[in-house]
Amino acid sequence: MKKRLVLFFALLLTLVTGFTAMTTTANAATDNSLTKIEKKGTLVMGTSPDYPPYEFQATVHGKSQVVGMDVAVGKKIAKDLGVKLVVKSMSFDSLLVALQTGKVDMVISGMNPTPARRKNVDFSHTYYQGGYSIVINKSDKGIYKDKDSFVGKTIGAQTGSTMYNESKKQTSGTTVKGMTSVSDLILALQSHKIQGVAMEKPSAQAYVANNKELAAIPSNFNLSASDTSASVAFAKGSTALVNKANKSVDQIKRENLVNKQYLPAAGKYLKTNTVNTSMFHYWKAFLTGIEYTLIITVCSVFFGFILGVLLSLARMAKGGVFKTALRWLATAYVEFIRGTPMMVQVMFVYFGLGLIVNLPALTSGIIAISLNSGAYVAEYIRGGINSVDNGRTEAARSLGMSSGTTMRYVILPQALKNIWPSLGNEFITLIKDSSIVSIIGVSELIFQSNIVRSDTYRGVAPIAVIMVLYFILTFTASRILNYFERRMQHD
Amino acid sequence: MTKPIIEVKNLAKNFGKNPVLKDITEQVNPGQVIVIIGPSGSGKSTFLRCLNLLEQPTSGEVDFSGENLTTLDTKRVNELREQMGMVFQSFNLFPNMSVLENIKLAPMKVKHMADDAATKLAHELLQQVNLDDHADAFPASLSGGQAQRVAIARALAMDPKVMLFDEPTSALDPEMVGEVLNVMQELANQGMTMVVVTHEMGFAKSVADQVWFMADGFIQESNTPDAFFSNPQTERAQDFLSKILM
Repeated sequence: MKKRLVLFFALLLTLVTGFTAMTTTANAATDNSLTKIEKKGTLVMGTSPDYPPYEFQATVHGKSQVVGMDVAVGKKIAKDLGVKLVVKSMSFDSLLVALQTGKVDMVISGMNPTPARRKNVDFSHTYYQGGYSIVINKSDKGIYKDKDSFVGKTIGAQTGSTMYNESKKQTSGTTVKGMTSVSDLILALQSHKIQGVAMEKPSAQAYVANNKELAAIPSNFNLSASDTSASVAFAKGSTALVNKANKSVDQIKRENLVNKQYLPAAGKYLKTNTVNTSMFHYWKAFLTGIEYTLIITVCSVFFGFILGVLLSLARMAKGGVFKTALRWLATAYVEFIRGTPMMVQVMFVYFGLGLIVNLPALTSGIIAISLNSGAYVAEYIRGGINSVDNGRTEAARSLGMSSGTTMRYVILPQALKNIWPSLGNEFITLIKDSSIVSIIGVSELIFQSNIVRSDTYRGVAPIAVIMVLYFILTFTASRILNYFERRMQHD
Repeated sequence: MTKPIIEVKNLAKNFGKNPVLKDITEQVNPGQVIVIIGPSGSGKSTFLRCLNLLEQPTSGEVDFSGENLTTLDTKRVNELREQMGMVFQSFNLFPNMSVLENIKLAPMKVKHMADDAATKLAHELLQQVNLDDHADAFPASLSGGQAQRVAIARALAMDPKVMLFDEPTSALDPEMVGEVLNVMQELANQGMTMVVVTHEMGFAKSVADQVWFMADGFIQESNTPDAFFSNPQTERAQDFLSKILM
């Protein structure tokens, strides 16, 4: 047992050191930031599109896309560089990691250039100077004046945002609740889980303008200029690119483009957006969600099953040094995967492996979930193989069949039948767990519902819709699995 | 004198520290029908399973057609196992396959026989055990006697030189014992070399060329059935025979 532990930790250490080493190499790269973009011909902008009017999802000419003033800023920078802008959506938490791991070239997401962030990324000049408001329920108007009125109450803010940190620092006796998306926060506000939401002034105005039950009050946070200004973030050390972008930003500032052009344009999208907030209007968004959820699940089940078979065989290998090593490795893998959250694995594959090969989010998601599922399936299969009567093995071997042939034609089919209900369970769990890849921006059901929520300012309806959709998916899947289970029933 | 097909030399087998087979030296000639009898726990089954290496002997030699199984690699052992059919007490049919598929599997996967040739062979063998009308049934729907006859057909499909029977009728209801013994008798009449562990004394008397009486990990007596049943030499055999109704 002790030996195994040593092996396990050795493996863990190798993983961690390997990862750290990779990060360092990536950071130590020389500054070819500008030439790289020019050569590539595209500038990839990372953003969290649930923050109107900075960035949000809107239907333009029947197609859902990210719009807002930040997108306009990104377009301007790309245009001045002579390249095409590509917008990549992901959660706000993931943005800087995506930047550091090269998933995106820049981040424009209403991000404040705080000293803490400056340690890890480079910022352009400020393109917009905002301030904070607190959004409250209109019925509470008069109770709350500013940040100091929330003693004994709860204020919400987007996790990882400046508002979150400042709310924590500058209030006393107030609980600060962090959530990933602003639409969740608004929902929490309307269901009275929290009493106020701290956010940038333009966002607050947009929410209030679109929702008659909300009101905005001044925050009166004591803030430095860097806390209220928005800048474009670039990877550390890409000075050439930052300098070039600064020229565009300076022009935006000089000509007051944000207030004159970008914000009014964003406002128009907001208005057209709220015309039709019926869930049927968004059937395409949900359909895309179903499509990706199914792609992820089916691929992961397929690869996870193959991996599971190999792992289970490795776990049962007995014999020489090689087979023992194989067994230990497989055991360590299964234990490690089962002992870490799937969400962490998804992020590790996307951002970690991303340092070596640049995998798209969907591929990363499928890889991560397959790797995860494989570990569980391996255990089911091992149990299934052990449950097959040893007499059948002996009968097969007495007929001259090799252990491999016996395994493939005699043992595995029977094991499969025995574990079919467990495998079916795994499949259904995967349909639901695939939602985790929404954090890296794969447009599966959860991700799509978040978009619809920030699009329509309706908190509950999209959740209800995907709940029903998930149930239809899982229920259909379990019916199909039952059909095959009956077909395999010979005794 | 013909060369023996199976030769066992100083065979011993321990399970942990418990010696089950102590020192056995015997041989089986082609065409012979050997019946091994003896009290429960005397090591009969273990001995039979040592013959095709389902049990690895602790020491000693098992020669098949002149080759010492205990020294061969897995591949060669697999090849020699093809030539030793085995029938188990609990049938051990593959429950996920039909009767026909049970018989066809090994010829197709081991001997790489074509599908239609294997089907033809399987039907012939099923006719031989009077079960051709059950070709598409699944094992779970068969009676014990039928299942055991399928198991015999399955073993015969590899065209073995020797058949090993490990208490083939012990798990059967009494009225089904006869149909299985008939098939075995027919097989013996055709000249098949057989080693049978059984409690069916009638079968031993009428079919066996040689009876081996096993007790305490040794073969205590080896004789013709007539001589053994009418005049057992050892006290152990006399005691055993006096306890069973005949």
